[in-house]
Amino acid sequence: MIPSARTYSLAAAAVFAFALSASAQQGAKQPAPAVAPAPAPVAAPAQEVVKPPAKYGDMSTVTQDLLNRAGDDGNNFLLTNGDYDQHRFYPNRQINRSNVTRLRPAWIFQTEVRESMETSPIVVNGIMYVTTSFSHVYALDARTGQELWHYKHKLGPITTYCCGPNNRGVAAYEDKVYLATLDSKLVALNAKTGAVVWQSDIADPELGYSETMAPTAVKGKILVGTNGGEYGIRGFVKAFDAKDGKLLWTFNTIPDNSVGTWAEKDATGRDMHRDIAAEKAQLAKIGDPYKTLGGGVWQNPAVDLATNRIYFVVGNPSPDLDGSLRPGDNLYTNSLVSVDLDTGNYVCHFQYIAHDVWDLDAVSPAVLVDVKDKDGKVVPGVIHAGKTGHVYVHNRSDCSLIRFSEAMVPQENMWVLPTKDGARMLPGANGGVEWSPMATDPRFGLTYAINLHQPMTYHVDSTPYPQGKLWLGGAFKVIPTEEQWGNVTAVDYNTGKIRWQVKTPQPMIGGILATAGGLVFTGEGNGWFKAYDSGTGAILWSFQAGAGVNAPPSSYTVDGKQYIVVAAGGNVQLDYKRGNAIIAFTLD
Amino acid sequence: MSLVGRNSEAYCAAPRQPAHYGLRPNAPYVFVAAARAASVWLAFGLSSVVAAHAQTIAEKAQICSACHGDNGTPPDKATPVIAGQHQGYLYLQLRDYKNGTRANEVMASIAGALERDEMMALAEYFSKQPWPNLRQPPAGAEATASARRANAAIGCTGCHLGEYQGDGTQPRLAGQSRDYLARTMQDFRTRARANNPGMSDLMRAASEADIAPMADYLAGL
Repeated sequence: MIPSARTYSLAAAAVFAFALSASAQQGAKQPAPAVAPAPAPVAAPAQEVVKPPAKYGDMSTVTQDLLNRAGDDGNNFLLTNGDYDQHRFYPNRQINRSNVTRLRPAWIFQTEVRESMETSPIVVNGIMYVTTSFSHVYALDARTGQELWHYKHKLGPITTYCCGPNNRGVAAYEDKVYLATLDSKLVALNAKTGAVVWQSDIADPELGYSETMAPTAVKGKILVGTNGGEYGIRGFVKAFDAKDGKLLWTFNTIPDNSVGTWAEKDATGRDMHRDIAAEKAQLAKIGDPYKTLGGGVWQNPAVDLATNRIYFVVGNPSPDLDGSLRPGDNLYTNSLVSVDLDTGNYVCHFQYIAHDVWDLDAVSPAVLVDVKDKDGKVVPGVIHAGKTGHVYVHNRSDCSLIRFSEAMVPQENMWVLPTKDGARMLPGANGGVEWSPMATDPRFGLTYAINLHQPMTYHVDSTPYPQGKLWLGGAFKVIPTEEQWGNVTAVDYNTGKIRWQVKTPQPMIGGILATAGGLVFTGEGNGWFKAYDSGTGAILWSFQAGAGVNAPPSSYTVDGKQYIVVAAGGNVQLDYKRGNAIIAFTLD
Repeated sequence: MSLVGRNSEAYCAAPRQPAHYGLRPNAPYVFVAAARAASVWLAFGLSSVVAAHAQTIAEKAQICSACHGDNGTPPDKATPVIAGQHQGYLYLQLRDYKNGTRANEVMASIAGALERDEMMALAEYFSKQPWPNLRQPPAGAEATASARRANAAIGCTGCHLGEYQGDGTQPRLAGQSRDYLARTMQDFRTRARANNPGMSDLMRAASEADIAPMADYLAGL
């Protein structure tokens, strides 16, 4: 359980040595990772270094060229969301609609941490990297699930985080993997040994900063956002030098002037019932609230290699429900934002909900895909699934909104203002679509999202900034007597219409994967992991994992065999049954 | 220093008072007197000794043990268990007692004499003690059901985690003293405990009738 997760010590070197010798005994059928002498600071003793059979040569270095082509890589799974466009679309079709019924577990790996799992497995040349709650990393043999090394980050005494001690995975780049930790550090590990190469501070955890996201590696930079929108942080995206951890640039998601245009309507044209006069009076009194305005970035930016821009979404303002302390539009909270990759300079933004008091913010990662504009012309687009339950479709050049989809979940009473005793509104504060990444299949013009339906009441109660403590400005309360459920929804982003929708018995959180085999894979809090026909929504296969499957699946191919892999660890936020398993499936 | 033991006994002289924490208008006279004595002693004793690094953390911790228990079990049920509590949480409480956002005269005196590294060291010391078994009975079916409903509504385990074990700056609640739990939830509701307004917001969104069953449930875990 949780305490035990903290009481064992890392024995990575020993484990790795064992893995190597075991592989060597088994010969060429089980090639170990190609091993070069580990660089300082932690060099393995000479007798432990075994030259493995180099079947394909050393392909374990993740070059920028490999990353650029990750979406067309039918062997590896190199980026958290599949590729820089974040399609989560795997191009191998060995596992497909006609044979998915034969999908069986190939192996199950159990981590030492039985707590919420949100990891996207990364696979590089047959080596898989997964993470767990409390900032652990495991390297596994992707053929067998055998552990190669285990890194347990020694968390500092101060960790301040909302919604679970989660981690969503590593970034792989050249010869290292990168982990962002709960105590707000960025750690570079030797990909072959798990040894720490360098560690950098991201922000001060005592002020409410923490990290659960997987970093993104691109062109020598490691990009990372931050959690903390529930703690009065000032959010950011930072770029660190992949080689030495030096900070290259910081983009503050809250600009010095956060006031904006006093927008009265949301992105869909609905009145948000702002009292603009009262806000202006408050602004005159207290000034711009930018220093504690929140604006976390929970998920990976998409990278447009052609224009050298990144696109990401910014989360809610702090405090979540109390707008009285933060007059103005609260830029760039609840927004799609684009910045220049080299400099971190602002390019464009689009705000979905100005002056949000419902925490119906933007968390699911942005996806780059060509879309039809209002005239039917195909343009580079960027799409995002909101907690509101809409998929928003934007023009990539200026972030402007082209269209928004039909609502994927019931919306009622929007935008009623929170009250002291609580006002009921749908969706509840978890969405719609939470942090869960979508999958996108451009062949069909469809994007796939998983949704929650959780009726809640919104309560407001004003208190001043509490110096890094939880700062909600009220509460979201689940209405226990009302039914909850979820769904898997396919949306045509060129029309905004829902193509198909399948209801699930529980609200959904985790993520989804589409494959060239005409399938989408996603899991549920009750332990079911399912394959759907991506064209029709028909359920073609299911597997009971024994704990909540609330993590984004990945796929990879080794020795000509395609696998689907997913974590089954449950979820803190929705209190789904915890587990500690990584399960890889292949055709029997 | 023998001074520690002698003074700390006097200082925690009101263990059977109903609740000797929090700033209450009707705080027992003896308690306030003890607190004053403690301030004097601290000004003379702890801070100067700390400055000289002549005291080990274990020795410094004796003043804490006077109220929080030598073996981790507080003699007074209204006093929280700190043995085995998470370091980050204990540190933040000491910090907040010192800066006044958590109000308690005794603890303010103690924490006021401590620097950040001393708070961290004391917090670490207690975090490494075993959590005591207070032998509190498991909650009955009805209280358990109420507590689970409350959790479903306001999401306690979203921060206090599975089995209410806590982590980092989130306190463990499982097996904490029932009286302390009940009083603390009440104090969050009234904002008498003011150093975590988000927690107050959540407790205010819960029903007052939930407090007793939640305290029973958490104490019995």
